[in-house]
Formats: sequence, C-alpha cells, structure tokens
Amino acid sequence: MPHQRRIIAHALTTCLALCAALLSVALSAAASASDPARSGSVSQPHIQAELFSDVSAVAPGDTLTVALRLQPDEGWHTYWLNPGDSGLETRINWTLPEGASADGIQWPTPESIAVEHLVNYGFKGDTLLLTDITVPADLGADTDTFALTADASWLVCEAECIPGSASLSLTLPVADISELSPHTALFRQGRDSQPQAADWPTRFVIHDTYLEVRIQAPDDLPTTDLHFFAGAAELVEHAEPQSVTREAGALVIRQPLNLYFNQTPGRFAAVLRHDPPGASASAWLLDARNNALVAEAGEVAGAPAPTGLWLALLLALGGGVLLNLMPCVFPVLSLKALSLTQGSAHRGHALAYTAGILLCFIAIAGLLLALRAGGAALGWGFQLQSPPVVGALASLMFALGLGLTGMVQLGAGWMGVGQRLTHSSGLFGSFFTGVLAVIVASPCTAPFMGTALGYAVTQPAPVALSVFAALGLGLALPFLLIGFIPALARALPRPGAWMETFKQAMAFPLFLTSVWLLWVLGRQTGADGMALALAGLVVLALALWLWGVAQQQGSRNKRIAAAALLLLAVWPLWSATQSVAPTAGNGTGHARAWSAETLAALRAEGEPVLVNMTADWCITCLANERVALDTHTVREALTTHGVTYLKGDWTRQDPAITDYLAGYGRNGVPLYVLYPRDGGAPRILPQVLTPALVSDALAEAAGAP
Amino acid sequence: MTRISRILSGTATLLLAATLPLTALAAPKVGEPAPAFSVADTAGTTHSLDDFAGQTVILEWTNHECPFVVKHYGSDNMQTLQRRYTEAGAVWLTVISSAPGKQGHVSAEDADRLTRERQAAPSAVLLDESGDMGRAYDARTTPHMYVIDGEGILRYMGGIDSNPSADPADIPDATPYLAHAASAVLDGEDVSRAVTRPYGCTIKY
Repeated sequence: MPHQRRIIAHALTTCLALCAALLSVALSAAASASDPARSGSVSQPHIQAELFSDVSAVAPGDTLTVALRLQPDEGWHTYWLNPGDSGLETRINWTLPEGASADGIQWPTPESIAVEHLVNYGFKGDTLLLTDITVPADLGADTDTFALTADASWLVCEAECIPGSASLSLTLPVADISELSPHTALFRQGRDSQPQAADWPTRFVIHDTYLEVRIQAPDDLPTTDLHFFAGAAELVEHAEPQSVTREAGALVIRQPLNLYFNQTPGRFAAVLRHDPPGASASAWLLDARNNALVAEAGEVAGAPAPTGLWLALLLALGGGVLLNLMPCVFPVLSLKALSLTQGSAHRGHALAYTAGILLCFIAIAGLLLALRAGGAALGWGFQLQSPPVVGALASLMFALGLGLTGMVQLGAGWMGVGQRLTHSSGLFGSFFTGVLAVIVASPCTAPFMGTALGYAVTQPAPVALSVFAALGLGLALPFLLIGFIPALARALPRPGAWMETFKQAMAFPLFLTSVWLLWVLGRQTGADGMALALAGLVVLALALWLWGVAQQQGSRNKRIAAAALLLLAVWPLWSATQSVAPTAGNGTGHARAWSAETLAALRAEGEPVLVNMTADWCITCLANERVALDTHTVREALTTHGVTYLKGDWTRQDPAITDYLAGYGRNGVPLYVLYPRDGGAPRILPQVLTPALVSDALAEAAGAP
Repeated sequence: MTRISRILSGTATLLLAATLPLTALAAPKVGEPAPAFSVADTAGTTHSLDDFAGQTVILEWTNHECPFVVKHYGSDNMQTLQRRYTEAGAVWLTVISSAPGKQGHVSAEDADRLTRERQAAPSAVLLDESGDMGRAYDARTTPHMYVIDGEGILRYMGGIDSNPSADPADIPDATPYLAHAASAVLDGEDVSRAVTRPYGCTIKY
C-alpha cells in the first residue's frame, strides 16, 4: 500500500510541475473547490499570496481566524504596521456578509532590515498575517454559506520595491458546530511568529529630541539584546541606536525622535524583542500610552510605578538629610541648630525655616523645568555652569566664613550668628535662613544629588517637583525634629563659651568650599579670571571690615565708603566671569576632546571608543577619574585594546553635550559610554568606577577573548 | 543680608536666562536656512541655491523606476504640479541621487528623454550622482519634497501628499501637502503642515 501511495504522489507532483505554469489559475480554483478553507495561491512579481481559514465550516456566533500568507522570494521582504524609514505596511480590506466584522491584523514580530543608512521594519520569508472574524449569531436563516473576501495590498522589496495586490476569497459552509480545517499547523506557526501579549504597563513621554518609554517589565528581563519596535510611523529615528536601561525598577528605552515627527500619538502598539545570541528569541506585544494623557485621565503617576516614585522620594529625602553634613552647609546649619536650643516658639521657627527651604528648592526646580520646556538644553547642575553664579557663590562662602571667624563684625543678620544665639529674631528671619540654606547648599547639591535629580527632570512636572520638595524636606528635617521633639533639643550641648571657638572653627570648611568654587571658576575662565575673582574677594573683605567698624563707631561716612567698596568688589568678580578659559585645559594626557563629529568618525571606522562626560564641579566625576580612569591599569588597557578615550567637558554650558546626555536619558554628569569594536550596541558603565571594572569592559568592547 | 541673598538669587536667575544656549543641528530644519547645494543639471549647467535668491524653490527627489514615482507621473499628478508652480514663478528642481549602477540612475540624455516622454515640466533636472545634495537634505525617499522661500529658508519638507500608497486611485482622496505648502509660500502665507511623512522607495545612494 505505501508503495502505491508513493507512485500516486510521484505522478501527482510530476503532473503539477508540468502544468503549474499554465494552470495556476485553474489549480487555485480547484484547490478552493476541494478545500473551502484555502483561497488558492495568487502569484505576483517576487511574491505569492494565499488566504487560509482555521475552520472548514462555521457556526453562527463563532469567531474564526483567517491567515493571509505572503511568501516573498528569497531576500525580499514585506512590511510591519510601522514600515520604518520607507516602505509601506501590508493592508487588508475585508468584504464580509452583513453583521460580520473583522479585527485588526495580528502582526508577527518584525525585524530590522537595514537599507543603506535607513532602517525598515518588516518580514522576510514566509509570513502569516492573522485576522479574527466574528460571524453573526443570526446567520444561517436564509443562507448556507459564509463568503469573505480579502483585498490585500503590499509592497515587496529587495533593494527595489514592487507594489502588489490580490483579491482573495473564501466561501465556507455554515454548520451547527464549527469544523476545524486541515491547516491548524499553519495557524500554530502563525501564532508562534507573533509576540506574546504582555500586560506590563507601558508609558511614553516625548521629549525635545527623543522618545522615552517606560516599561514595567519583570526584573529578570535583562537590558541587553533587546530591541524596541515602535508601532507608529515617523515617531523614532529608526536607524539611530536605542538606549536600554533599568531605572527605578522599570525598563527604560530611549531613541531620538524622527526628523519627520509631527504628531504626538495618544497610544501605539509596540513590540519588545529579546534576541540573546545562541538562544531562541522572545517578543512581547505592548500597549504604549502617552503619559500626559494617562495622567489627565486620572490614572495617577502611571509612568513611574508607585514604587518607583516612592523610592525616588525616599532617596531624595535621605539625600536631603545628608546634605546637612556637606561642608558648605554644615557650618551655617549647625550653628542655626544650636540657636534653636535657646528660647521658645521653636515650632514656628522650624516651620518657617522649612517653608523657606521648600519654596526656594521648588523655585529653582521650576525655573529649570520651565527653561527646559522652553527648549533650553540644561541639566541639573546648570547653576554651576554659569561663571557669574560660581563667582557669586564663592564670594558668599567667603563672606560667611569671614563672619564666622569674627574677622569682621556684622550687625544683626545672616552672619551675626553670635547674636542669633541670644536674640530670637522674627519668623521672617527663619524663613530666609531656609532660603539661604538652599543657596549655600547648591554647590553641594549638584554633584551630590545630580544623578537622582536627573531622573526627576525627565518626569512630568508634578512628579519632578515632588522629588525636589522631598529633597528640601530632607534638608529641613533635622530642624523640624529639633523644633518638635523637645528631648532632642535638650540633648544638644548647652551653649557656652565653647560656642565662640566652635563658630570660628566652622569658618574653615566654608573657606575650603570657597577655594573649590574658585578652582571651578578658574577652570571656566582661566588663571586671569581666577586672579580677578580673588582680587574681588580682597575688596569684599575690606568692605565688610569697614562696614563692621562703621557700625561700631556709628560712622555714616565709613558706612557709605563700605557700601561703595562692596559695589567695587562686584566689578573684578564680574570681569572675572567674562573671560574664557583656553579650551585645551581639560587634558589628562591620554584623553582626546569629545565632539559629536569625532565620535561619529571613529564609530564609522569601527573603532572602539570610551566616552567620558564630566565637569569640574562634579565630584563623582573627578573621583572616578582619579581612582579609575587615570590609573596606570586603565591607561594600559586603553593602549593594549586600542580603545580611543574621548572626554567631554560640561563644566560650562555645551548644548552638544546636553543633547548627547539626553540621547542616553541623562540630564547630568558623569556618563560613561563604551562603544565596542565594529559598531555594536553601546554600553553604559556604572557611575562608580573601579580600575578592574573599566579594564574588563575595555577588553570586552575591543573583542578580546 | 536677607536682601543680599534675594538679590543674589535674582541675579543668578537673570544671568542664567542670559546665557541660554543656541542649538545648532546638522539636519535640515523648517524655519532655518536650507542646506546649500551646487549640482550640474542635464545640460551641464551648475545650479546653486544662491542662484535663486528671491524665488520660491521646490525640490523633488525622483527615481523613475520607483512605483511611488510611477504613481505620481503615470497619473500626471507630478507634471500638473510642476506646470502649475513654474507658471506661478517658482523654480522646480527635480533631483536624482541614485548612485551609478543603482536603480533610478540615468545619463543626462536619458533624463532628458524621460522629461520629454512624460511631458514633465521641471525648471531643471539635477544629477546628484555623489548623493551629496541628497545627504545634505537628508532626503530619504522618492518622491521626497521640499519648499524653500525667496530668503533661502526651508519652509516645507516631507511627502507629496497624505496617502502613503502606490495606487494612483488614491491620489484624489489625499491631502496634497506639497501643493498646500507651495501655494502658501508663493502667497506669502504660513505653511499649515510644514513637516509630513515622506513616503516611497528608499533613495538608492
């Protein structure tokens, strides 16, 4: 029997082979006649199309699935719902009996198809586009067949493109119970090629230059070998690399916006594809929703999951508490704390002080957000990119230090901390102590909290401002506690003669902070600028001294002279900030200056590149350079593996660097990006580096075994 | 001293506002000067953007073998637009950026023959074999359309219309983005949709 069957099969294939060219149309009809669940194949240039049903007979009220099978020639492809930089998605127009309805196409997982410098999203080889069709329940009263027609149109491309279309029909008998067709394997194949529907909340935000998508994906999904396919045309620049990171538990994808982006979608379908080398790929279908619209609809804080937001708030609060110990803040605040142990009405003062801090923090954060919304390329730490602000802060620290040493005698006011200990000043005084605390804290805040605040500024305004408010609350917390818990106030040492010594000692951390700020100013404006600023400080000291003398003597003339000198002090400081440092100053010997062009040129040659984005006012950056990047180990690894080391300096405003940071979802420095040899996906190194970590990463990027 | 702190923070704000950066991007941008070019046409005459100061310039990237181009030439849609706007005083430059040996690349003679056969009416056909002009404009598809005003400012970039298909029957239903933009620029009005999706075949650089 098997023998006979083989002969019959052989005869059949021979006949088919001979007749196929001439009789394809007739055969399609025959196939359709013998099997109601397939339409018969239609041949078009470089592609064949056919329609299949998963049932051979339909029952009223049931849902059937039909598959449009597209079989392009080897090397040719058709397109996904977002075709990418060119091309056209496949479309199906359905003609159905009255009352029946068709859902959208269930797209298979797409792949990236690079053409020259552009990228398309589509499908190579055998492709099955499945669609669910609902049969009306009242069918069958006057008919015994269910006829459907798919008018399919597509673009099939290799390098060249050919549009095609076909009208494919099925006529299925109506039965009491649906009957499975012989094509179940084909439908299984079709479903296997699709991404699995995932219910991970997915929110997107459109920034000036890039799209940011937050996916609450399971923690065990790695950030490597992932590709995100946005199912909206002209949204992302398809050929640009995506950055994939984990932030506050969410998977965050960032990709530059398309040059032709012109409409913000409310939501779009997206596919996340995980394709680890040597293992099978998985893909998930996501419903990406516009975060702004979600927030308006009242789904509070959708973007960062509540845990993400709470975590950020908690971290900011802790950071704020730690700020009290920073050298620029501690001297002023420790004395303020001691002053609170005296007298009554602590609560009112503590609250006024907190209000001052919160208001000032929110004002600075609001200014930053507003400037960013206005298109300015700024990041947190922006205060310190402006030499006038750095100069002003250096003078403020210096003046406060002079006040503490007692070198200059100042009346009631900020520096009259001594008087503060005995006289209780008004609530306004406490309020402005809060404001001043934020101002003196600002040189410490940027390097200390910069990265955490970078997260905040990429969030919608209410979330961002809450994070800043939490930071302010943290800064105010010790005072609130002293104000509200009498036991704490009692635990503080009693004021006494030792206070004067303590106060004077506290001047020195302030002088050190001032020196650091002057150094930053020197890097920004050069040695001449720094010398001018120092001259300005001498005049400032003279003015303050004269002011103190004038107060003691009640001399009006000396007071006027002091005020005039104070104004004079502004001049050298101001001129200092106008000079510009020679740009070559940032060399650590083995680094080359970063520019987008240099990086692009090196990448085009397939060279491995390490990019270090830094700023002189960023302590983490300087520490990383000292302990890791500038060590012998790392220098040697750079040379051995032939990795080019590019350093970008964000000490002053630089929109090109701000853009680059934004491309990696950052809003502050440091940022370390390692580009492997021959153009692989870039890798972001952690913010705390060790020599071993860097040299291992360099070896890997250079393709060493 | 409270006043000093207030003055300080106020000054800082003002100084920050004064030091805002000016961003410069390499990609063409509507509202900014259009990228310069200098390319020879089929008669060997070199055309530069500067030559057309005071005139509205329409750029059309083409590849005569691309089905999307065939859609607009086969239906006489492209030729109609060319005649309408050149008669209204605009300069219409058809640009071919296909590299030698790739689809759409033609000799000067063949380009002229195509113009004759299709009764096309561009002011000139530029042969951008090197692709320099195409890359300067970041031209991606055929067709891909641009409108530049008399001041040399790019006013429109994107598709010829709103219907990304290769079927000529779709043309009457489409919103004619290019025609809207060209008419607006010629009439000295604002372009309502200045950036749209360019659709078609990838340019064969």
